[in-house]
Amino acid sequence: MGLKSFSRARAVHAMLVYTGGCNGCDIEIVNAVFSPKYDAEQYKIFLTWNPREADVLIVTGPVTKQNEEPLKVIYNAIPEPKAVIAAGACALMGGVYKNIHGDIPSEEICGPVDQVIPVDARVPGCAVRPEDVLAAAVAALPKLLEAD
Amino acid sequence: MDGKQEIIETEIAMGPVHSAAIEPYRVRLFVEDEIVRDAEITVGVNHRGIERIMEGLPVEKANSLTEKVCGICSGVHLWNSVLVAEKGLGVEIPERASYIRIIVGELERIHSHLLYLAHGNEVLGHETFSMRLFYIRETVMELLRLIGGNRVQYGVPIIGGIRPRADLDEMKIQRIGEGIDLIEEKLEAFAERFTSDPMIMSRITGVCPISRKDALRLHVTGPTLRATGVDLDVRREMPCYDPFEFEVITQDGGDVRANLLMRVLEIFESVKIIRQALRDLPEGKVVDRSWEMQDTGIVKSYVEAPRGRLYHSYAIEDGRVRGSIIRTPSMSNIGAMQYACIGHHITDAQLGIVQCDPCFTCTDRAIEIVDMSDNPRR
Repeated sequence: MGLKSFSRARAVHAMLVYTGGCNGCDIEIVNAVFSPKYDAEQYKIFLTWNPREADVLIVTGPVTKQNEEPLKVIYNAIPEPKAVIAAGACALMGGVYKNIHGDIPSEEICGPVDQVIPVDARVPGCAVRPEDVLAAAVAALPKLLEAD
Repeated sequence: MDGKQEIIETEIAMGPVHSAAIEPYRVRLFVEDEIVRDAEITVGVNHRGIERIMEGLPVEKANSLTEKVCGICSGVHLWNSVLVAEKGLGVEIPERASYIRIIVGELERIHSHLLYLAHGNEVLGHETFSMRLFYIRETVMELLRLIGGNRVQYGVPIIGGIRPRADLDEMKIQRIGEGIDLIEEKLEAFAERFTSDPMIMSRITGVCPISRKDALRLHVTGPTLRATGVDLDVRREMPCYDPFEFEVITQDGGDVRANLLMRVLEIFESVKIIRQALRDLPEGKVVDRSWEMQDTGIVKSYVEAPRGRLYHSYAIEDGRVRGSIIRTPSMSNIGAMQYACIGHHITDAQLGIVQCDPCFTCTDRAIEIVDMSDNPRR
């Protein structure tokens, strides 16, 4: 284990990006990290808002057209190795916003997250449960630790 | 020194994804010597076109879609959308269903206000209070999961009543009773410590006030309006709230202190309403399925969402939704958010925005209307 992964195992920084969801998943994720009941900080998972110090990117929402560019910029700003978690039904498949009319493409939504950036872990649910978010963060850890 | 000193006006732009903003929106603050001279909030990054998706869907499907407008006050959107259909079709709902809708609505108000308080305390820099409030909020979320089956999108109302799975049995009634007792007890302790803390009180008193006149001029709604002293609450005009006794809380000043205390006091009123509803919960069935679909004109409905007055309207044609319009309270409050920052220190600007309880995912539906029509400076 190199120095980088040694220190990374002791402080995983997650960044949360909202790309047009309904706020339900976002607050549940903040809840999972911050609130005293779930408290991911006791497992050394911290929420950060700075992409340059983040290891894990948590994306919620169906990625609106306006949010596509900022999401790519944020993804590129995160140093390697990085893991991406797509959280919620919208991030996984566009949710109710995409393709509800059948095959007519939506004018506002540019697709689920994996059409914009590569995704490593997926959390289902509408809205996601805090327990599942913690499980996804743990599942994404090996990619970060073995990379060094 | 003679001659004019040149004051440099700087623009501070935050945006769409910024560390200080918890939701995607864009703020431009025009700062002159650390004093905010002008503020501009732009929304629209979140636009998903929910009203367009609703167009042409069957009414039941469109109703459940409105729940996805906002993840904080999801229940009240569904409630209001169902009310539009019920008004148009002339459906009378059983009394028990009306009571359970009110219980869910008030629990939602409690958790929304607790989130506001926790967020406000986080912005103030007091993380301990924020944690305590998140802990209280967890009780409410568990109660909502107990009633509806999900923590956020619980989907209780349907046309003609409520979903049978959300019916309250003895166990649920007892647990809700215990839960609200716990919330009241913990929140009383919080309020006592919060108001007796001189550091916090001096930080929030008189910061970013909105006067009563300006609040009315900017069409502010909800608790933000009542914090300026205007006694206006849609719950008093809603017939389903008639059996309950509650006070409409008002505060003076419209500053951050008035806004924060306003929410705390409103939670106590909500607890009072839930307690009355649990005590007098009528027996009987929870859903009346004997209504018939017919065409209606455009029907409007208002309810009091946690953030203020919420408006839904649509017409029904062949069992499908036509011409849906949703107006959320945060949209009316955007003017106040900009106005509250002006003339104050740049460090207070975030507080000034947060005190109006912004929810930009609610707001981002119709780009045409989001053209700041409420803002008199434009």
